[in-house]
Amino acid sequence: MKKKGIIVGIIVGIVVIGLIGSLSFSPSETVNLDMGRSHGDVSTVMGSPILGDPSAPITIVEFGDYQCHACYNWFHTHKPAIYENYIATGKANLVFVDLAFLGRDSPTAAQATYCAEDQGMYWEFHDLLYNSQESKIDNGWANSERLKAFAFSLGLDMTLFESCLDSDKYLKRVQYNVSEAKKHGAKATPTFIIVGPDNQQEQFQGGQPYGTFKKIMDSMI
Amino acid sequence: MNGILKTVFSNLRYSLLAVGIFLFMLIGLLFLSEYIFITPFVTGHIPLGTELGFSLIVIISGLSALVLPMNIYRINILKNSKRKIGGGVLGSFIGAAAGACSCGPIGFAIISTFGSVGATSMTFLTNYEIPIRIAAIVLLAITYYTTVKSLRVECNLKPQ
Repeated sequence: MKKKGIIVGIIVGIVVIGLIGSLSFSPSETVNLDMGRSHGDVSTVMGSPILGDPSAPITIVEFGDYQCHACYNWFHTHKPAIYENYIATGKANLVFVDLAFLGRDSPTAAQATYCAEDQGMYWEFHDLLYNSQESKIDNGWANSERLKAFAFSLGLDMTLFESCLDSDKYLKRVQYNVSEAKKHGAKATPTFIIVGPDNQQEQFQGGQPYGTFKKIMDSMI
Repeated sequence: MNGILKTVFSNLRYSLLAVGIFLFMLIGLLFLSEYIFITPFVTGHIPLGTELGFSLIVIISGLSALVLPMNIYRINILKNSKRKIGGGVLGSFIGAAAGACSCGPIGFAIISTFGSVGATSMTFLTNYEIPIRIAAIVLLAITYYTTVKSLRVECNLKPQ
């Protein structure tokens, strides 16, 4: 009888803790993930939201680091033409998957983008980071304080953002992305996998020119 | 100075060696620094803001192609000491190391293998890429000057 009471007590305790936990979890910090999302054989479930039309026939998966100069060069030199001619026209979409390995601030910067995603501002934050990248790795441009300043400049709710960043809420998400990148043989940033309509894949590394993307994507359409 | 260059590079072996070193250094450094790509297509680009880095690679390759064959000439023809080749090799090596962008496969391999020590060294090479390359150019230029000077004395050539 006493044993039964203890078991019932434990079950009730677990239910109460679960209820308290779910009530205290702010709805604006929930993550709306499509748990089955993948492109080709790449699991992009923990990656960025999709940039462009989710039903576009081609997906560009970019493995990148916010402190990587080659990623910065690609973002400024070649991505605009790809966006204009393929993403904005619905021919392709893009998913960013973190391969944050360059310095101690890289994983923090990646986590910050997901904290911004909680408030519907992933791509704005992503773009702001690549527009604000400085030439030296780990010189403080992407440290926690600067990331909070970036969030403030975007008008994000700072209480939510700071609690998200300070609690390492998305640490495991970033770690998952890094392991997914390594699983697919990404050995440099940026590395791209272009997934075609029939799931055919072309993988290459480096912030390659627009012409390379055009050649591959035109052959897939 | 022209007399020294003529003496060394009138020999086809040294001219070919210079061309080989230039192409090897140029293609290698441009590949490491992601100015050229081999896969999926052979292609290249000079992203905005990286023109200085590109120019320094061309200068390092050119100076290495001048200095290394001249020093090998000294060793082979004049049976002289191997000491002076050190500056040329060191300059070329430093220039090449600065080009190994930490974003690239070499940087990734070093960081993955050596952890935080590797990350620190790659960060240093990336952060100070331009000053390191300039230092390599200065070292190669000094080596070039001293090599020409000593060849002039050793070959007893009059300056033109």
